[in-house]
Amino acid sequence: MPAATTTTAAPPPPPLDFKNSDTIPVLPPSKHQPSLRYPSSGSHRKTIYDRSLSRPPSATSLPAFAYLFNTLITYHHAKSGSVSDIETRLNRAGYPIGVKMLDLLLYRQAAAAPGGFGGAGKSGASGARPTRLLELLQFVHGTLWRGLFGRQADALEQSTTKKNEYMIVDNEPVVNTYVTIPREMSQLNCAAFVAGVVEGVCDAAGFGTEGVSAHWAEGEEMWPGKTIFLLRFREEVMEREEGLKAGGGGG
Amino acid sequence: MQVRTGVCGGARQPEASHPNRYRRRASPVRLHATGLRVSEVAAMVVFALLIINKAGGLIFNRTFAPGLQKLDSNDYLILAGTFHGIHAISRTISPAPPVQPLPGNRRPPTTGIESMESSHFRLTCFQTPTGVKFLLFTSPEQPNTDAVVRRCYEIYGEFVMKNPFYSLEMPVRVEKFDRALGAYLVRP
Amino acid sequence: MASSSKAARLGEEVWKSRVDKINAEVLTLTYGTIVAQLCRDLTLPATANKTDYAAVNAELDRMGYNIGLRLIEDFLAKSNTGTCSSFRETAEVISKVGFKMFLNVVPQVTNWQGVEGKPQAFGLVFEENPLAEFVEYPDDGRAQDELWYSNILCGVIRGALEMVQMQIEAHFVTDVLRGNDTTEMRVTLVRYIEDEMPPDDE
Repeated sequence: MPAATTTTAAPPPPPLDFKNSDTIPVLPPSKHQPSLRYPSSGSHRKTIYDRSLSRPPSATSLPAFAYLFNTLITYHHAKSGSVSDIETRLNRAGYPIGVKMLDLLLYRQAAAAPGGFGGAGKSGASGARPTRLLELLQFVHGTLWRGLFGRQADALEQSTTKKNEYMIVDNEPVVNTYVTIPREMSQLNCAAFVAGVVEGVCDAAGFGTEGVSAHWAEGEEMWPGKTIFLLRFREEVMEREEGLKAGGGGG
Repeated sequence: MQVRTGVCGGARQPEASHPNRYRRRASPVRLHATGLRVSEVAAMVVFALLIINKAGGLIFNRTFAPGLQKLDSNDYLILAGTFHGIHAISRTISPAPPVQPLPGNRRPPTTGIESMESSHFRLTCFQTPTGVKFLLFTSPEQPNTDAVVRRCYEIYGEFVMKNPFYSLEMPVRVEKFDRALGAYLVRP
Repeated sequence: MASSSKAARLGEEVWKSRVDKINAEVLTLTYGTIVAQLCRDLTLPATANKTDYAAVNAELDRMGYNIGLRLIEDFLAKSNTGTCSSFRETAEVISKVGFKMFLNVVPQVTNWQGVEGKPQAFGLVFEENPLAEFVEYPDDGRAQDELWYSNILCGVIRGALEMVQMQIEAHFVTDVLRGNDTTEMRVTLVRYIEDEMPPDDE
């Protein structure tokens, strides 16, 4: 076993000899190259670590986002054979954003909470990760939507037929503002990208899903772009939730 | 019939600011910058809008008032092609003395025909610096046609150009564009 | 359009009153997924996961070009700038109206080159870059020397100016992500397209 490791690793550093040396010997520098490069001069540092995460995000134009979103759609459309294929690819593109947004939003909540980090507030306000299903759903419906789109989602509902299914309704998804779906692809809803973000948040929060998908609401006169995000939680998530409820976890 | 043409495209002034902009209500349409007052908007009689791409092809046509004479699609294509040709001629054949640009700079573009009037209608033509032409047919009494046609261009920039499924230079079949134009130009 | 302060006022006015807004982080993260996807999809021949950064740069530029062809209409309709009479004016309008209204930043126009007999050119220095806000390069020892993260912007300018009869060349010369002190793009005028033939589709 030891032999196997020495073949690939650099030769081990010489044994430290404290007795015959006045100073503690310095180990040779490691081979790790940091991937962050610093500007060599300049009065202010410009790396991501020099900026405060909790500063309020600035605004940019919705058109600029739309052009990038269209680029994403066009790229995946060209590589896809079917509507469901495009939706899957858009979902996958959104997923890592959800994972990052969960951390970012919780961090900001913590920083803004009375008492700052570790402040003894109610979970959700203190920056603690949601641990109960309803907390998570409210986090997605409220905090996530506000963080992404500046307003909360329009409704949160539970399926009447399947108890592991929940629905978040957006009357007019911001990402679809300029998108008109061609007739031959009428089932396609590009908010699948947002569904992927939601899926990323749920997974990263420890609420595994069988998938989050975006669907057009049928027969809506008032809101032709009304979209339903369907969240299907895994069996073990529902079992854990039942257990917490039975154990009197409160809330 | 009167024909008005302009020499320098750069001479157009930006529209004045607009105190009563149309804010979004239930639909995703958001109207900016008409420069029109509500009473003027109510009196508008806009007959039709045509859009011609830079190669002279008709890519959009729609009528906005009831009871108009019907043209078949072939008539529309001929109309668009003919106008495109005449417009090009009006840009090159001009009695005005040519403007010499400074060395290294570009010659100021000529706009070509900007409007045509008859006793029955007025045609307002707005050619964008990219070469797309917007043809607006209105009653002769219709005020502010320049602002109306520019607003149509803005809606085009919004819902046609930002639709990922629209291919450039191709006929415009975009539901949100139709809806936004209708909300702006169709009077109940 | 004449002076740079006039351009600045116009950019400010369009940004304030005619543009819908969104949280800039959504833009940053969405652009990140595009670049990350390309880094995964475009690999060097006969390798499974070694990114071909030259290909990524080229693809970003192409994507930007396709955006520019469309964005120009939106830009002209909302800003109503008319036609620029000189390339110098074009530089001011790109920086103070274009970047302001779409990205809410105003890159500084620098290093103007207007010597006779040489092509006209200018630099755009980005103090802020909303595309690259959360970015650290992958730790593969090559990205820092080969990837131009914000290369899509070069394509956008190329596509947009081509639609108003200007053929230009644009590329980044420095980027703080690579450890440079600034992020600077260089834009060079190749020629004015005088005949009004439709440009080739790309």
